[in-house]
Amino acid sequence: MANYYDLDDILMEEEYVTVHFKFEAKGLGVLDPGSEHDDIEAGAVVDIPLWLAHDLCLRKFVSIKLPSFYNERIRKEIQADASCVDLGRYCPYFYELGLRLAPISPDPTLGSFLLYCLQGRYKDMLCKAHTVALTTAPKFLNLLTREETQLFEAARDSVKSYNKWRFQGARLERAAVLGRKRRLNALLSPFELT
Amino acid sequence: MAMFGKKGAELVREAKQTLATTDQFRPFNKDLFEQVVKETEEHYGHLQERMSQIRVNDSTEGGDPNFVGGCAQHRSVLRNKRCLLAYVNARMSKIKHLRWDLGAVLPDDITGNLSATERTFFQGYSDALSSYMAEINLDLTVDSTPPKDPYVQIRVIGNLGEVLLDDQETSLLPHSIHFMTRTEAEPLVMQGLLEIYQG
Repeated sequence: MANYYDLDDILMEEEYVTVHFKFEAKGLGVLDPGSEHDDIEAGAVVDIPLWLAHDLCLRKFVSIKLPSFYNERIRKEIQADASCVDLGRYCPYFYELGLRLAPISPDPTLGSFLLYCLQGRYKDMLCKAHTVALTTAPKFLNLLTREETQLFEAARDSVKSYNKWRFQGARLERAAVLGRKRRLNALLSPFELT
Repeated sequence: MAMFGKKGAELVREAKQTLATTDQFRPFNKDLFEQVVKETEEHYGHLQERMSQIRVNDSTEGGDPNFVGGCAQHRSVLRNKRCLLAYVNARMSKIKHLRWDLGAVLPDDITGNLSATERTFFQGYSDALSSYMAEINLDLTVDSTPPKDPYVQIRVIGNLGEVLLDDQETSLLPHSIHFMTRTEAEPLVMQGLLEIYQG
């Protein structure tokens, strides 16, 4: 279980999943745009956020349907060439969401598929992180999920700090939170400068 | 109308941006914060309504419709609480950093972006740190990067005037260049009043 205050974990739980209500639920009509009254009827199929779906599923009130980006077609694409698939577009929280869904989903192969997928993409990503130009944002960054982007940035930062240490040593700098230099200079009146 | 966590997620996105923006301190989003609190109250109201309608000896198999609905409302209350706390917590960690980077007195444009409680927190945190440093007789905020040389050459950017350095009074005029100990220069460089001069 992730940290209670983890912002990314909270945002990941905001991803929508499709669930199938096994029982009638009073007062949840807002969740179903197609519903005409205040309640959800038994058998209704509704998209709800994961944090809600997870809890209701553990209580066996609903059953979860896996999102479309874990389906057979995407798995074939990953098998063909893992590092070229645009997972970032399907879902920025591809792995975290899958990890949370794996224990409650009807599909037992989801966990091993995620592992296979990350293994396939990791090596290529790390290789690129150490070799691409440091100043420009490379094009393939768009293909990565959030977690992969973090790994990529971490690898790149380590190269950057190594270079900084190697070539110029640590420097004192003003605190970044104060913004750029121009603002403070503008505060000085020209009379004080002369 | 209760939105089931949409506003809360917005607030968390805001918190993420607060952490990501490095060149300023984002103001406390009081408006959105209060909207989430209000929404939580709404969910709580719905929850009570559902609870009051649950019949105890209901023999329907599986779920009483009121119970299913009540669970969802309860979950929403917890969810919103988590979003609110995460927002406050994210800002708190950033405020702690301010003390280390800028010292005990914050510039006006940053203080203006803190909420009243955050100002109290900063004051308390700052006092605690100061008294601890006084107790062990060591300024922990200097030498955040290991120094190579105890002395540095600096150029004055802000208007400082007469300053007591090394037990003697020195006049730091704008654009003048001085040689001073690194421990004395560091806090002033962090506040943006001096810069390291490399000739």
